[in-house]
Parts: sequence; C-alpha cells; structure tokens
Amino acid sequence: MTSTILKLTISNFRGVQDLEWYPSASMNFILGGGDTGKTTVLEAIDLLFSPSTSFSVSETDYWMRDTTNSFTIEGVVRLGDDVDINAQPNMVYPWHWDGNRAVIPDTNEDNEGNDEVYRFRFAANEQQETLWEIVQPDESTVRFSVGLRRQIGLVSLPSDERNDKDLRLVFGSALDRHIGDPSLRSRIGTQVASIDLQGELSEEAKVALTALDAKFAEKALPSGVSIGLTSSKGISIGSFVGLLAQKEPNTPLPISSWGAGTRRLASLEIGAANATAPSFVTVDEIERGLEPYRLRQLLTGLSRQGGQKFVTTHSPIALAASPEAQLWYMDSSGRLGALPSDFVKKQQKNDPETFLARVAVIAEGITEVGFLNHLLTLALDCPPQDYGIRVCNGQGNDHTEKLLTALDQAGLKFAGLADNEGVRAGSWAALKEKLGDLLLQWEEGCTEEAVISAIPDHQISSLIGEEGEDKTSVRLQHLKVRSGAEERTLASICAALEGTGKSMKQLVIEAASGNKDGAPEDDKKAWQKHASSWFKSEAGGAELAQKVIALGGWDDLSERLLPLINSILNSVELKPIENIPDAR
Amino acid sequence: MPDKSVFDLLRSDEPLVVIEAPAGCGKTYQGAEFAHDIAPTLGKGRVLILTHTNAACDVFAQRTRGISSNAVEIRTIDALICQIASTYHKVLDLPPDPTVWAYTQNGFAELATRVSAFLQKNPIVPTALARRYPIIVCDEHQDASPEHHQIVMAIHEQGAKLRVFGDRMQSIYESNAKAAVNHRERWEALVASAAHDELDFPHRWANDAGGCSELGDWVLKARQTLLAKEKIDLTTGLPAAVKVIIAANTTQARGGYHVNWLQRKPLDDHLNGHDELFVLASSNDLVRSMRSFWNRRIPIWEGHTRGALHELLSDIQSIDGDAVRAGEALTKFMSTIAKGFSASTHGDTLKAEIKCGCAKPRRGSPGNIQSLAKMLLADPTHVGISNAISVIAQFIEDSAAGFADVKVDYKREFWEAQKLAQYEDASRGYAEITMRRSVLRPKPFLKTLSTVHKAKGLECSNTMIMECDRNSFGDTIYGRCKLYVALSRAKSSLAIIFPETNPSPLFKLP
Repeated sequence: MTSTILKLTISNFRGVQDLEWYPSASMNFILGGGDTGKTTVLEAIDLLFSPSTSFSVSETDYWMRDTTNSFTIEGVVRLGDDVDINAQPNMVYPWHWDGNRAVIPDTNEDNEGNDEVYRFRFAANEQQETLWEIVQPDESTVRFSVGLRRQIGLVSLPSDERNDKDLRLVFGSALDRHIGDPSLRSRIGTQVASIDLQGELSEEAKVALTALDAKFAEKALPSGVSIGLTSSKGISIGSFVGLLAQKEPNTPLPISSWGAGTRRLASLEIGAANATAPSFVTVDEIERGLEPYRLRQLLTGLSRQGGQKFVTTHSPIALAASPEAQLWYMDSSGRLGALPSDFVKKQQKNDPETFLARVAVIAEGITEVGFLNHLLTLALDCPPQDYGIRVCNGQGNDHTEKLLTALDQAGLKFAGLADNEGVRAGSWAALKEKLGDLLLQWEEGCTEEAVISAIPDHQISSLIGEEGEDKTSVRLQHLKVRSGAEERTLASICAALEGTGKSMKQLVIEAASGNKDGAPEDDKKAWQKHASSWFKSEAGGAELAQKVIALGGWDDLSERLLPLINSILNSVELKPIENIPDAR
Repeated sequence: MPDKSVFDLLRSDEPLVVIEAPAGCGKTYQGAEFAHDIAPTLGKGRVLILTHTNAACDVFAQRTRGISSNAVEIRTIDALICQIASTYHKVLDLPPDPTVWAYTQNGFAELATRVSAFLQKNPIVPTALARRYPIIVCDEHQDASPEHHQIVMAIHEQGAKLRVFGDRMQSIYESNAKAAVNHRERWEALVASAAHDELDFPHRWANDAGGCSELGDWVLKARQTLLAKEKIDLTTGLPAAVKVIIAANTTQARGGYHVNWLQRKPLDDHLNGHDELFVLASSNDLVRSMRSFWNRRIPIWEGHTRGALHELLSDIQSIDGDAVRAGEALTKFMSTIAKGFSASTHGDTLKAEIKCGCAKPRRGSPGNIQSLAKMLLADPTHVGISNAISVIAQFIEDSAAGFADVKVDYKREFWEAQKLAQYEDASRGYAEITMRRSVLRPKPFLKTLSTVHKAKGLECSNTMIMECDRNSFGDTIYGRCKLYVALSRAKSSLAIIFPETNPSPLFKLP
C-alpha cells in the first residue's frame, strides 16, 4: 500500500486562491480549458512532497503576486505501510479522518474503526521563507523532513521541456532513488578532484598562470596559484551525471537528449521500477511528445502501477484510453468538480472532447449538434471550437438530462439543448431553474418540429429540397409513402392529403422526425428511419439551421435561441450578439 | 540460574514478560543490558523505558549510555501521559499545557484517567505509539496506578512487547488495607497473564560492589518471610551486619520520640559510628521528632515532593483577598515545616493583628509578627505570603525577638516557598519550581533522616530503622511492604530499633 492524499487544500498559491479537493485514490484526470489552474494543482502536490531539500519561492508563486499573504498547501494523507512517520525525531501523533476532514478523535464515541491520517503542510510566509511541516493534533508543528517526503515518494513529469531531473543523479530524483547509492556523488567528486588539471595546461597557459601568481605575490594576495576543481553552490556533481543508453552500438547517448516523449516515458519507468513505488505520480499534459500508440502505452503502464496519479490532459485519446480514471473538470472560475463517472463515462466514450473544452454544450442529438454549430459559426464568424466552445452529442433525451443534472450537482455549469418528450418534466424544470438561459428545451417537442413549424407554409417545398437532388427524391418518396399518394411528386402528395386535415408541413414534420404513427406493422422501422434522410445528421442539422434562416423562420425562433447563444458566449467571456448576421 | 533465565526470557518472542525484581537484584542492569541488545535490532523503532521517577530516568540514562537517543527513549510515565494529553488537549478538556495544570491541581492521576480512556476509544493513537516503540520496558511497575497500567496495556495491545519489572513487596503507595489487597490482586493477575520469572541474586550486596553478601542473603530471605506472612526471626542466625537495639519511646504523644538516657547511648553510638547513614522512620512526624531527638544535628531528606508547599498553594487559591485567610495559610505552612512556629506561638497573634488592622504600635516579638501582618494586609496574595516567609527567614537568621526558637525542619521547602513571590501566577510559579527541582535532581546528605517512602529507590551503606513498633509496621500488606523497603536500603549494615512494649508483630524478637 502506498500513501493517499484524501484532501488537498490550496490557499493563495499562484492562480489558485482557494481550493479544497478530495481526489480519488488511484487515477485522477484533471480536465478543463486552458489557464484555469490545472497545472497549479499538480505543482502544489509536487511542492508538498518535493524530494528536494529546498525550494526558492518567487513572488509569482503568491496569489496575485501579493507576497503579504502567505500561501499554503496542505494535504491530509493516509500513509502507506512502510512510511516511518512515527519514527521521526519527534513523535508524530495521528488524526482521525471523518470522511471530510482530519479531526481529533472523539473521546465520547467508540472509534473502533477510526481512520489514521496525518496532516502535511507546505507554507511560504511574507518573507518568502518556506516550511515543510507536519501538523499535530494540537496544531503545533514538527518538521516534515525531506527524508520522510522521499519515503512517501513522488514522481513528477512536468510539461516543461527542459526538465529532465529524474534522468540525472540529483538528490531525490527517480534515478537517485533507483540507484540507491548515496555516497556515489561524493566518490565521483573525489575522483574528479584528483584529476591533475594543472598538468593538462598548455605551455602558454602555464606562463599566464605564473604571471598571475607573480602579480598576486606583489599585491600581497595569496600566492602559489594553480587550477583545480572547486565546488560551487547550487550545482552538484550529480547533475552532470545522468542515464545513458546505446543509440547505436558503442555510442552511448544521454537519454535526456532523446525526444520529449521518450524522456518522459523513461522518467516514469525509472520511478515505477523503484523498490518502493512512489505514492504519487503527477503528469502534466500527458500527451506531450507522444504519438497515440505510445500515449496509450504510457496510460496502460500508469494504470497498472500502484499509487495515486494526477494527470492533466487535453487529449481525447488519453481520455478514451483511461476508462477507469476519475475525471475532474476545472471550470473557468477555478472550481474543481468531479465528473460523475456513471453518466460521464458514456459521454466520455462517445465524445471525449466534451470535457476538454472551456465550455461544453450538451445537445441532445446529432441534429442539435449540427443545428447549433451552424448558428454559433454564424454568430462568431468562425467555428465555435476556436473559442473553446464544444457542442457535444448528449446521446438522447434521457442521457442528456441525467448528464446535465449530474454535472450541476458537481458544481459545474454546462449548457444544453434538448427536445421535450414529455417525460421527466420535474427534473427538466429543476435544471432550467439552475441553468437559466444556458438551457433551452423546446416546448413543442423535437427540434425538427419546433424549427419546421417556424417556416412559413409556402416555403415548405424549398425545405424539402431542389428538384433533381438525390435527397429531394428520397424525401418525396417518404412523403408519398406516408400520404398514400400515387406519384412521387408534390402535387400528387398534396392531392392525397386533401380531405385528411393534415397539412404538408405536418407531413414533413412527421417524416423529418421519423414518426411511425399510422405505418403498416412491417414498415414501422422503415418509417422511423426516414428521419436520417431529412435532418437527423450533423449536416442535416446544419441544413435545418441554414434553411430556417433562408426561408424566413428565424424571427420566430430567435427569441428562444438568442438567449442560449448569448449565455454560451458569455461563459467564455465573449460579447453578446444582437442577432445572427445573416438573418436580416 | 535465574539471571540467565531472566536474560533469555527478556529476549524471547513473548509479548508480555513480567520480572519480579526484589530490591538490589540487578533489575536496572538487566533492563539496561536488554535495551543495549535489543535496540539495534529494531530498525527505526525505539525502546521506550518508562519509569516513575526522574531519578530512575537518570539511572537508566547512565546505564544505557552509548546507545543513540534515537534508539532508546527514557521518560517517566507521567511525561508520556502529559505529551499525549497536550497533543489531544482539545478533546480531553485540558489547557494546552497540561503539565502545569497537573502540577498545580495535583492532577497527574486525573490526567492518567482521561488519557487512559482516550486511548481505549482511539486505537490509532496507541497503534502509532506501538509503531514507534515496539519494545516498552516498565520499571518499578508495582508503583503504576490502574490507569498507568491501562495506558501501557493499550500500547501493548497494538503490538508493543512489554518487559515489566516490578516488586510486589515494594508497593507502598496503598496504605488502605482494601486498596492494598486490590493492588496485590492486580499484580498477581498480571503475573498470571504473562511469561514470568524472578530475579534472586542480591547483586547490590556482592562483596565486590562494596556490600555485605550475608546481609544481602538475609534481606532476600526476609522478603520471602514477609511475603509468606510469617515473622522475621531476629532470635537466631542474624548476620553480623544486622544489629538489634532495644529502646523504649517514652513520649506519649503520637509521632513523638524520646528515649531515656540509659537506652539512648547505643543509639547515639550507632549514629556516631557511621559517616554514611540513613536513619529511617515510618512517618513524617517521627522523622521530625528524630531531628529534635538528636538536637537538630541530622538534616531531613526532603525527597522530590513538597506536601506543605502544595497545601500552601491550594490554600492560596481560596484566599480571595482575605488577609485573615492568608495569615492562616502562612501559619499552617510554617507549623508544618518548622518547629516553634504554631498557632499558639505566632499564628493567633498574627491573626489578631490582621483583624485589628495593626492599629496599635507594637515592639519586640509582637512587633515582628505585626510586620508580617502588615505585609499580608497590604498584599493578601501568594506574593505577600511568600515575602512574609522571606522576612521570617531573616528573623530566624537574626534570632529576632519571638523567632529565636523557630527551627526549620524542611529547609528546601522553606526556601522554595520564598521563591513563589517571583511569579505573577502562583500556580505557574509552583509548577516552575517543581519542574526545576526535577531537573536539578537533589541528592540526600550522607547522613540523613528520612521517611521510608522518601528513601524508596535509594541505597546507602548503613541504615538505622527507628521505632519498629506496631504503629509503624503493622501486620498488613502495607506494613510488610514498608518494612521490606526499609530493610532493603542498606548495603553494609542494618540496625533495627525496637520498643519493648507494643513492638511490630512482623518480628520474632529475642
């Protein structure tokens, strides 16, 4: 068993003013648009369990660069079996985890099942001094030693290209931990120091040095000068020693000069190969430098490895390859909410990009995706994804409702567009109450019905399509079948409708929405499939949007659609529009 | 050979080992050697040695010198309790520094009760302690209260191995007969639940340790006799080192002591015949009487506790600005620690002066007492009282009128009471003085008077056990234990002093 962070609290650290987070015990994916603070969360974990002896704080580490407020990172941790927390110089006493926070065990109740946890804290004060502390149950603190931090174990793969620390022999690196030879550095130092550098000097250099020596003696400075190895603060000999590998036979090359992806895979592999597996692995932008197949390989490796993993990603491949991961979404206000896995899983599989956008609109079906994308493209004069807006397929009315409700319960705001199937009215009403203009549910049924109804009757023939087009004849065929007309022409269909009380528009709505009422038993399935030849596709949805504007139906709809569009724009800080540009 | 079997048993895998350890049989040696051997095998774990006194901590610290302090921790069980209580003070309804609280409230027992209950309910805490201390050595465990024992057992139940040393015959803190019986039964139950062995070689009296081995054998045999509820036979087979002296106490007053001149000579001779001698008596009153008896030549060993000072402190807490009560507290304190200062000699006058507000000018003895009254009227707090005690000290030194006959028996306590004025808060001051004392570790004079209780844990070359009458050493568990503690102090010689009438029933007399 390795250690687990049960709760992470960040206050005033970089872009995160206040964050309380209960991560999952194994794989955590933090999703969300750019600049929301995902990386900061990872860096906070890196810092709290840093294997380095020190960390130099800069003013940019403080919230709003305000160094008058100290910043703290605190973790409530259930420790792994082999962490010698109680063998520290000072006795470290346990807290009890009540499922929500570390509390002092209560004397009034039986705590047979009390849950032993410890509180670790990193703090930087107004003087930019740093402290690693363990908080005792009386709020006094003892040192959280670097030895203990290393025992808990952290492997960190930051997205910073230059950082290949774990491939070098620096203190606390994965390589250092793996080799486990603490005196190696000093032995290397001794050997290097014994190299006769003086003897390597050229004749000219020796003359120059002799001249310098004479000058020194003249000025009563220390004399008898020579050159040799001197130590330097901050740079250890170990940082010049790193892992090499055979590029070609007999050509060892430092792994740090291989590609970014290889370097990261290698770092992680070293971390995983250690006798004591690291408790925590943080990987920022896991897809960086990796082709899809190696990304999948890395994720499979990671999920097999024990410990608690913290991963940020923008890669749909990564999400698709990690079905077991707990997904977290950091919204633009810096809230980190759990994406409830039951509902999110299906969505994640069908459209992994749902949770990679800055704002996602859950549209109930493919028609709605095409329809809304077309409108947003018109509104923005570019594809909506350029602004981090993602219109996603909610896979049906029921799933869309559950997904939106679950997201809302996680404290996250998503937008939605849905039909009214006359079911779960209470839930939809509750959602509308919470989401306001971010949710549009048609009153009159499905999108096709609402939109086609808005088109003037005399334009219906244009909606069906231009004569001679393939889809036009397919659509006419549907109408012929449905009306019982003799010929596949508008005139014949009109004639067939006469006296039935059904208008052409109604017939088109029925065909477009795959209505199977009145179909012969054997044809029910075929009738249902009619919808896909009309607007039930992404292109169809776009066609519907384009035609409702072109055919003069927009004015009726804009009252309902503009508030949705504008609240979507607002959530990515874009200005509202007065109307769709083409509509006038 | 038990030393060897004890050695092996300590190092066995037995989770709970109890070693019955009569005085002077090398338990500290065994315990310390065990710590030496076992500590390096524990990895990051440590040996915890729990004692009952700071003096015992010192002894173990000397004997375990050379082991890293990361491998062996030596502390009193109260210190461990205070650490736990301090860490969890919020739920234990205690101030952040329970040590001060315990010192001033006499609250160590209460602290142990709360911590014991806390550990029972929260196994994670003893679990953490058991991880830190996989081995716990308990010294003088017969002195552990039931709560102390529960605390140790709570850690034991989470996996710490216990190595318990104790001697049921040195249990002298339960004078109540019923309580003493209960205590003995608890000990027997503990022994029954454990792997058990007994040390039986009197190392303290070995010739090469400067002792008298016949005396050692005799003391160990006496222990068996007392334990078996039989009488120690003083009629035959006495080693040369044991001397019996008959001396009748002619004072009727309880706790008083006087011997007529005929019987006195052997006592004086014995006293003068040794440079190093503990004169032991069973009660504080008797010890003070001995001091008078030998014309105040022999100092009293005050030990590590200060009964009168503690009483003064609790009296101070109820003064509430009332100078009369302050005067009463002062009188009570002085009469407990000094001869010649009582209500009738000083206290009544002091009270009268306070009551009349020192209205009339006085001179001589009443004048001196009046100056004390003025101090208490001006400042009826611990500061006023403490300063008044300092003035009394000056009066005594100057043989001032009315104070020439005041003789201080408990000099340390008298001195410490004068220090109280330095502290703003009386409780904190008392706690501070007490803590300093435990750091300074006072040691007795070579020749000293002491109660049996205060001599417990000490050893000396020669002892003289005064007034072995029925009052001092009755036929109870308590009386037998107290007698055994008294008998087992001396390494070289022992004198037992009897009255002819009403002698202790624990002896068969010549």
